[in-house]
Amino acid sequence: MAQEMKELVVATAGRWSGVQPPNEAALELAADLQSIVAAFEAVRGGLRFEDEPAGFEAALQACKETP
Amino acid sequence: MGATLVEDVDTLAGLSLVDAAAAVADGSISAVALTEACIARTRRLEPKVNSVIWLDEAGALEAAEAADAARRAGAALGPLHGVPMAHKDMYYKAGQRSSCGSAIRRDFRPTITATVLERLEGAGAVTFGGLNMAEFAQNPTGHNRHYGDCLNPWNEAHITGGSSSGSGAAVAARFAFMALGSDTGGSIRLPASACGVTGLKPTQTRVSRFGVMPLSFSCDNVGPLARSARDCARVMTVMAGHDPKDPTSAKEAVPDYEAALDGDLRGMRIGVPETFFLDGVAPSVLAAMETALDVLRGRGASVTRIKLPLIPELSACSSVVSRCEAAAIHGEWMREYPQDYAVHLSARLFPGYAIPATHYIEALSRRGPLLQEFCRAVFSEFDLLVTPTIATELPTRAETDIDHGPPGTAAKFMAVSNNTRLINYLGLPAISVPCGFDSLGLPVGLQIIGRPFAEARVMQAADAFQRDSDWHLRVPAL
Repeated sequence: MAQEMKELVVATAGRWSGVQPPNEAALELAADLQSIVAAFEAVRGGLRFEDEPAGFEAALQACKETP
Repeated sequence: MGATLVEDVDTLAGLSLVDAAAAVADGSISAVALTEACIARTRRLEPKVNSVIWLDEAGALEAAEAADAARRAGAALGPLHGVPMAHKDMYYKAGQRSSCGSAIRRDFRPTITATVLERLEGAGAVTFGGLNMAEFAQNPTGHNRHYGDCLNPWNEAHITGGSSSGSGAAVAARFAFMALGSDTGGSIRLPASACGVTGLKPTQTRVSRFGVMPLSFSCDNVGPLARSARDCARVMTVMAGHDPKDPTSAKEAVPDYEAALDGDLRGMRIGVPETFFLDGVAPSVLAAMETALDVLRGRGASVTRIKLPLIPELSACSSVVSRCEAAAIHGEWMREYPQDYAVHLSARLFPGYAIPATHYIEALSRRGPLLQEFCRAVFSEFDLLVTPTIATELPTRAETDIDHGPPGTAAKFMAVSNNTRLINYLGLPAISVPCGFDSLGLPVGLQIIGRPFAEARVMQAADAFQRDSDWHLRVPAL
């Protein structure tokens, strides 16, 4: 799985952004993307999109303390 | 320099920002004397700290002389009149070098000036230097291959915290009365904690970012590191507020933050998360936090253990936003000069080019709803959350040196910012105040978190704590 992720990251970064792995550590951290994939899988279906025109700044205002 | 002169310098440099400003205002100390004291102490002790990238002694003394002349002429004085400061070397001043802690921008001289610098200097502050930092503000430890690691004034073997490493170390070492840091995942609070000073990350959008090196458009924040919550409050009253040059800055009115510092926490409801923020907590860190909570109770606050909601959701989404934005910002340089980055930095940037845009958009789109859900669940019951800023004992530079360390080093490196990253995704204000020392003799920080735009309440609690504790007054023996 780790090797597969490394290869995927190298191919995607190279093809879409023209960025090559700069060092061995980059390949190790590329493999760690698996943990982000797992984190998204774990919460899939439990999150909702903003379905009205809004934004994070509006949410900050909505959540502030009211006197 | 003779012993008496050294003592004089150290006495002047040891004042708080608020006391220094008062002394300049009433004429008992000149701005020139303060500036000379800060520069002299910096020159004498900097080899033990490595917190400075550049000093502008002539420019600072010229500004200080002008400040003294204005006072003598009876001019109206700003709240920071004559107070010397130095800042993380990523705040642009037209024509002045701004290295961003990098080799790539070693000789970069911007053509614009950051709004926050204009506001600080407009209030009378004297800028005398640019401070060491993690390369492009991208590590939580303070390692820097190009300018040398910033050294923790309490023990040089240990990390300063990052990315505002020089800001934390220079304030702790009493080189500067205040230093700006920036905070995208903990970069103000971590060095504040590790160096034993007070550092505030404001609400997202609270302070202008015009003329400040970007790392993540969504999560970057500008804030002060200083010796006390009161010092931070003074600076925030000057800096905060809408800036037409930064259309993302909030139009929220700016209160007089110092006026809120009344020491009275009666009725204040504090929640202490039992989960996540205390995972792997060191006994010495936990003990320092418990003692601090007793101090807050003594001021009238109630303290309740709670289980925080949404941690898996926040963890998933927060892990994506700043990585994608940083990768995009650094795309050109990663194609052209990858060898000019430290290994740990280019290695961390690289995976960002392979995270699908749909995940980035998902994480951004859910930020508002998650914030609202979090606030409904938490801040309907509590006014503030309190956690350790760094849950573990402070690691050494060697233990967290990804560039040279063995496998597993990256995990220790990332663990440093475990308790701060989620707060940036939520955009909440948070302060770190010193609350003790770990078993190795390194400072421990207490993180106090509030709802959006509740900086006044956050600093009120921090100030109340500092009225009944003296951790913020401790000075490392250099």
